[in-house]
Amino acid sequence: MNIYQPTLMTISDITDETSDTRTLRLAFQDPQLAERFDFKAGQFGEYSAFGAGESTFCIASSPTRKDSIECTFKAVGKATKAMRELAVGDTMGFRGPYGNHFPLDRMEKSSVVFIAGGIGLAPVRCVIWNVLDLRDRFDDVTVIYGARSVPDLVYKRELAQWAARGDVKLWQTVDPGGQTPDWPGEVGFVPAIVEKAAPSAKNAFAVVCGPPVMIKYTLPVLQKLGFADDRVYTTLENRMKCGIGKCGRCNVGPVYVCKDGPVFSAAELAALPAEY
Amino acid sequence: MNAKTITIANLTALVDDLVASGTCVTAPARAAGGKVDYRPITSFPEAAFNTELPRRSLKEFFLPPTEPLFSWRLGGPGIRISEVTTSFAPHVILGARPCDAAAVEILDRVMGWDYRDELWFGRREATTILSVACPGVDGSCFCTATGRGPESSRGSDVMLTPLGDVFLADVVTPKGETFVGENAKRFDDARGAAVTDGASRTSNAAAVGQPKLPLPEVQRWLAHGFDHELWSTIALACHGCGACASVCPTCHCFDIVDEPEGVLSGTRRRNWDTCQAARFTVHASGHNPRADQAARLRQRVMHKFWIYPSRFGEVLCTGCGRCARACSAGVDLPEVLRTITALAAPGGPEEAAV
Repeated sequence: MNIYQPTLMTISDITDETSDTRTLRLAFQDPQLAERFDFKAGQFGEYSAFGAGESTFCIASSPTRKDSIECTFKAVGKATKAMRELAVGDTMGFRGPYGNHFPLDRMEKSSVVFIAGGIGLAPVRCVIWNVLDLRDRFDDVTVIYGARSVPDLVYKRELAQWAARGDVKLWQTVDPGGQTPDWPGEVGFVPAIVEKAAPSAKNAFAVVCGPPVMIKYTLPVLQKLGFADDRVYTTLENRMKCGIGKCGRCNVGPVYVCKDGPVFSAAELAALPAEY
Repeated sequence: MNAKTITIANLTALVDDLVASGTCVTAPARAAGGKVDYRPITSFPEAAFNTELPRRSLKEFFLPPTEPLFSWRLGGPGIRISEVTTSFAPHVILGARPCDAAAVEILDRVMGWDYRDELWFGRREATTILSVACPGVDGSCFCTATGRGPESSRGSDVMLTPLGDVFLADVVTPKGETFVGENAKRFDDARGAAVTDGASRTSNAAAVGQPKLPLPEVQRWLAHGFDHELWSTIALACHGCGACASVCPTCHCFDIVDEPEGVLSGTRRRNWDTCQAARFTVHASGHNPRADQAARLRQRVMHKFWIYPSRFGEVLCTGCGRCARACSAGVDLPEVLRTITALAAPGGPEEAAV
């Protein structure tokens, strides 16, 4: 089995997050691999629909939940459209876990502020559940999540679960015009809501994922709130093929995103050329 | 190095031995009335050593332009995977140019980085490379600028140097030692004079002599030269065709694609790709981090002379000059490097910026 050959997974569950975004739960067909498989929050994999090809997604489930992994994707290209055609019980391919991870060890005993936009909640959700499953190791947990409109919010059932918990401060927002009459959350772009929520930077880390424009305008807000840029983490979403540092596709300046990333601190990001 | 010699007659017999034993022998050879390429030969007279550089490098013998990674077949509710082999039949490359042999060893770094590419190394292990010191080719050659030269034995298992009517055969690697041992009757012990005769080497070096690039300065300039106008100036001519990467012995970017064979089965393959292609980096969202040709051309230079050296300790270029020869727009990498060298020179126009 060469390094490009995937392991076989069975789709065990399908959740439609929005009209175009789907979450697949995948179980390892090889029981020994299921037992052995381990990963850290932030790592990614190459998922494939046989006949259509591979796509790169983060592992969206938490490493604290061992029985399966999940990925969340929009049907955009050839491979993701084919994945969307698959049903429970169908076989997919998976290679991974690859890349680095969020520094959960470093974040312990600190507060964590999660900020996500759109489908950018997928890599953040993995860390959120990781932190919530080990809740007593962390201080305050704040989640600030926005989407273009109410129907575009992903992981709605989990947002409801976090809202119901006393140990998570949840801010939900939609872009102006994206609200419904009964929308109880905020209306406004994510950076503005971060400013409004004004989470304390004291002994805190921030995890930020979303569209580049959201990240661009959120980082200065965090800076203003006092977050040092080596305590703010995000992920880069460069196109990849091999995922393991061979195919040359994900270079950003001196960095191979698949090997040195996908998780970078804002300080590391600032040192890179803007090729992401 | 252990020094041996081999006569033309014995080289001829060696190729006959290898072919008779079923070993594939590849050498630079001229198609009837046509171009020189590395191709399988069945007898030594087919090989052409004193010619122009073969059009394509040795890369394709280790990273084929397209190769299967595995096949699949739908069976019942699941999918069956057929693995591809990672062990390959013995292969001898005779008459490799030093720039091409060196490239293969340089690529071992990335192919073995953390995850070992068994397809690459399977072919590497099956292949013995006998290089021939290069007579020099033309003004596009710049191997001496990248720190090696026409007698460089880097990447060769056995290095042949023509000395009149015999070749001096320097054994470079344990694999070369084994090869010479297995074919001992075709090699003679080198006489003292042959070992010390350096005359032909220096004349070869002069034939492709270019000043060595000041690599630390070039790298320092590149690290800060991301937004320099140089890139857009050069890229105005570039068509983005990727011919430079295709003929390059060290460009190794690839794509991974599924090719269905009917409805129930298919093959996943890797195919050569190039950072010069506009869609190489396009995100699913449509956002393209390298949206124009200047950014893509810059990436090729950056990867070769800054990124790869920072990561693996040596430049991803052996100075073969194929990119300059292949470019229909006249983009000339040696010239680009000379420009950067001038910009990076102490007291040069960019020194203050760096």
